[in-house]
Amino acid sequence: MAAVTVPKKEKKGGIRPFHVWIASLAIMLVIGGWGIYQTLWNGLQVTNLTDQVPWGLWITHDLSAIALGAGAFTFSAVVYLFRIKRFAPIARMAVFVGFLGYTSAMLALAMDIGRPDRFWHPLVYWNVHSVLWEITLCVILYSTVLVIEVLPILFDSRLFDNRPRWRAFGHKLHKLTPVMAVLGMALSMLHQSSLGATYGVLSGRAIWYKPSMPVMFILSAVAGGVSATLLATMITSKLTHRELIDKFLRRDIARLAAFTLLAYMYLKLWDWAATSYYSQAPGTADALTRLQATTPYTQSFWWIEIFLCGLVPAVILLNREMRRKEWPLMGALFLVVFGVVINRWNVTLSGLVVPPQWSPGVLGRTIAVAYIPSWVEIAVSVGVLGYAFLAFTLGAKYLPLFQHGHDAAAAD
Amino acid sequence: MMSKKNNDNRKPPLLSRREALKIIGATGATAVIAQAVTAGPLSSGAIEGLKRETHHASSDHEWHMVIDLAECIGCQYCIWACQATNDVPEDNMRWNIGFDERTESGTDFFMTRPCLHCQEAPCTKVCPVGATWVREDGIVAMDYDRCIGCRYCEVACPYDVRRFNWGTIETENKYQPTWGVPEVERRERGVAEKCTFCVHRIDRGLAQGLTPGIDPQATPACVNICPVNARIFGDIKDPESPVSKYLAEHETFRLREDFGTEPKVHYVRPEREEV
Repeated sequence: MAAVTVPKKEKKGGIRPFHVWIASLAIMLVIGGWGIYQTLWNGLQVTNLTDQVPWGLWITHDLSAIALGAGAFTFSAVVYLFRIKRFAPIARMAVFVGFLGYTSAMLALAMDIGRPDRFWHPLVYWNVHSVLWEITLCVILYSTVLVIEVLPILFDSRLFDNRPRWRAFGHKLHKLTPVMAVLGMALSMLHQSSLGATYGVLSGRAIWYKPSMPVMFILSAVAGGVSATLLATMITSKLTHRELIDKFLRRDIARLAAFTLLAYMYLKLWDWAATSYYSQAPGTADALTRLQATTPYTQSFWWIEIFLCGLVPAVILLNREMRRKEWPLMGALFLVVFGVVINRWNVTLSGLVVPPQWSPGVLGRTIAVAYIPSWVEIAVSVGVLGYAFLAFTLGAKYLPLFQHGHDAAAAD
Repeated sequence: MMSKKNNDNRKPPLLSRREALKIIGATGATAVIAQAVTAGPLSSGAIEGLKRETHHASSDHEWHMVIDLAECIGCQYCIWACQATNDVPEDNMRWNIGFDERTESGTDFFMTRPCLHCQEAPCTKVCPVGATWVREDGIVAMDYDRCIGCRYCEVACPYDVRRFNWGTIETENKYQPTWGVPEVERRERGVAEKCTFCVHRIDRGLAQGLTPGIDPQATPACVNICPVNARIFGDIKDPESPVSKYLAEHETFRLREDFGTEPKVHYVRPEREEV
């Protein structure tokens, strides 16, 4: 992944790692294109989804992408609302990563709904009682906010060097940033948690039905989003051989991620203790027993979510010696990001694969449904990832994501 | 009108522009917030709007069903009649499902389950576009033209009632015409569907002065076909209706009442009373 090289080091001619990287992304996009074609032409029968497990890989992709985009609202709020200006150098990267996350989610979602031609229905036909309606409106409005926040970065890039009007327009837009930060925070606080409520409000699904769901979703999103932003910054820094943020800011962001992660794990600990360890609610106990007996989700919860992607990165991020070294730090950040994805998969699938038992008899108790994504589902996800990586590569190469002083001045 | 003054000094226009931008931003934010706030008070109206008018349904009726598991002989006619009448050719998309079951005390029985038409239906609450709703007469209805195919209703329903059109279904319906003729259009690819209590028969029957639950033309296909009258249907608001009488004479239960869904399908236990 040695992508964006510094012009000075470029050799004339020959195949450079950057070309290999771009070629790999092109292959990912071609695979994605095939998947999208298959899906749109044949309908969702090309997936391995069923009426019992109607949500799978793509929903995980949506939820993860939106969660990992949470750095945008977090840093916007920190810099422009709370005026903690030392975080300003990372604000643009956060907004950019957020933009990639939300656009990825919308791409995957467009494939996931049975009638993509009716994507506009939630705007016209309101069901205010549905958390999904609220999420849809929030995501659409917040994506608009992200566009307004990203456009000034685009207009500041080299591409617009000869277009002063656009650039001036960008600067005007940038002045809206404090307002956008307030709006963005309000919208994000709503939908980041509502995504958890999507599962948490379903009284018929014992594993999901609990008020901690929305809070756990937003906390893990902030931890994952902050980590993703710092990871993206460090990768860009490695590839461009430039120090983009100083070590003090890096330390502060790492600690912000770690403390949010710990807060999340504390809540998670009590969520587990209250719903399964200290109590014995019949529906929950039954569902968890069946989950443990028939699926690997209990194991992947304890070993991957809690240990590998929770405790391990928390220790690294809070340990001064380890945090100062680049590779352990990047590894820890990656684990947090990976943990968010695994968590979204585990939450979605664990609730679906052990459906509630409603039959009054005893034979129906053995029902457990499996789900492994089909090749077309994987292909579409690969394509959406390819889009995100390509946009990130181009952004890291061409966009002025790190302009010291500029944002600090704008924050005044 | 301020332009002359502004020309005199450089600072005021700059400031006023910033002010203006702030005001524009604040107005925009206020508008959004206002919309969000009014969505609350509007919510009752919005939900009221979802209970769209149906020709003859009114709060005068409330349709319920009783399934007597002690009477049921497991012939599966109700399943096939449903598939023929509502044109559901695929067996894995059955609206009305049935399977062999056994009670804890060891009594074998045949369990069937249509849509339970919950009064507090989770599927209707979660639909982001209001494509499904509880009608005035209690039937959980579907608008195939509004559904976007997000399948949240399938996730929300605890009874595995909802079915999704994963593809365009062109299969020949092997249950027609033996078990009935199609009375409704086959659904398009990409939308959710489910048992309707044969709502088309109820609405048309009432218009013709018929009584659902008594007159076969106005009664769900599964109820009509049952050779042992194990399914009883009718208006719970009419004390003389078959369903009201049956409920009064039998001890019944509903599936997973702890979910708080208030189903309108009642069951009689499979064990025959040994008195």
